[in-house]
Amino acid sequence: MIEPVFEVFARKTRGEPLRHIGFINAADGDLARVYAWKTYDEQNWDEMCVIPRSAIIPVDPQESQFVTMMGRDAEQELVHSAGTGSYGGGEVTR
Amino acid sequence: MSATATDARVESAAELADDARAALRSLVLALADSKRVLGLRYSDRMLGAPTLEAGIAASSMAQDEWGHARLTYAMLGDFGDDPKALEHERPAAEYRSHPALDAGFDSWADFIACILLVDTALAVQYGALVESRYTPAHNRVQKMLDEERFHFQYAAGWVRRMAAVPEVRDELAASLARYLPQALQWLGDDDGPASRRLVDQGLVSASPSALRARFLARVGPVLVDADLARGLGLSRRDGGEWLVSQSLSFDGWNEEARRSGGALDEQTAARARGDKNRALLMD
Repeated sequence: MIEPVFEVFARKTRGEPLRHIGFINAADGDLARVYAWKTYDEQNWDEMCVIPRSAIIPVDPQESQFVTMMGRDAEQELVHSAGTGSYGGGEVTR
Repeated sequence: MSATATDARVESAAELADDARAALRSLVLALADSKRVLGLRYSDRMLGAPTLEAGIAASSMAQDEWGHARLTYAMLGDFGDDPKALEHERPAAEYRSHPALDAGFDSWADFIACILLVDTALAVQYGALVESRYTPAHNRVQKMLDEERFHFQYAAGWVRRMAAVPEVRDELAASLARYLPQALQWLGDDDGPASRRLVDQGLVSASPSALRARFLARVGPVLVDADLARGLGLSRRDGGEWLVSQSLSFDGWNEEARRSGGALDEQTAARARGDKNRALLMD
């Protein structure tokens, strides 16, 4: 089971631009919201958003650094194994 | 009882009649102990979670629960208790924790079922304190409930995911079936003197049955989405009230302890008290 990647954006104050702070893997949007909040809650954010990586459209796919491989299995596997490959568990994830 | 007497704000437990104060103290202690033990059980799932993110969130939720426990124990200072003694000096037999938490989790399914059903039952009971006449509860409780929204989303997401995996679906259904009656019963007996006193005095905003209805309205849609509701005897009458096929029995129900028997084991109580680091406790 491969989980989609969600990019996490946040701002500290109202009016400040959203900025990219990281990414998480999650089975769906609800879990992505929880994981983002629980993973990046060390700072006092005014607002946090998660965006499915697959929803990001690079203006120039050749130059895009983190969505160049968007939607391809190779990229999904790379991201997934970087986060969970040596973690153990596996009661559910296969 | 005049309307004025039950509408007036209560700023201190000392303003309450003895029986009402005892009933509210029992409820608050049951909530505090349940949160403390719940946090312990969650912490056992920080490592070995199915995904890194799920483990991080479990760790954060364990911290949430211990924070909630600390806030709730602190409320009991107003009832003449020493919160520090409550946290660190009681034997297991005096713990009022939720009976569903007496045993640890055997599986990820147990963990998820417990968050959805037991944690939500606690949140619903806390919710009944938001509109209490006893004002010291208000602000503290609202902050806890804000955090509990994430716990519920976590459980709902995992229930949906596990229900779609044939290898773990039955295990999840069994865990839910074990926790559901305990979660419902823990909300109390409408006919219990303490429950009635809490409602009559405006110290909680809803009766045990009304809280059960709120609880079912919250968890029911998640279980229907996962096609698990019917197997649990849960149905909805014409899009309105949720019904449970299994009737609750309060035979042998100890209203003060909120259980019909059993107790927390000493080993878990020792962890809850922090026995191993007792020499390092700070005032």
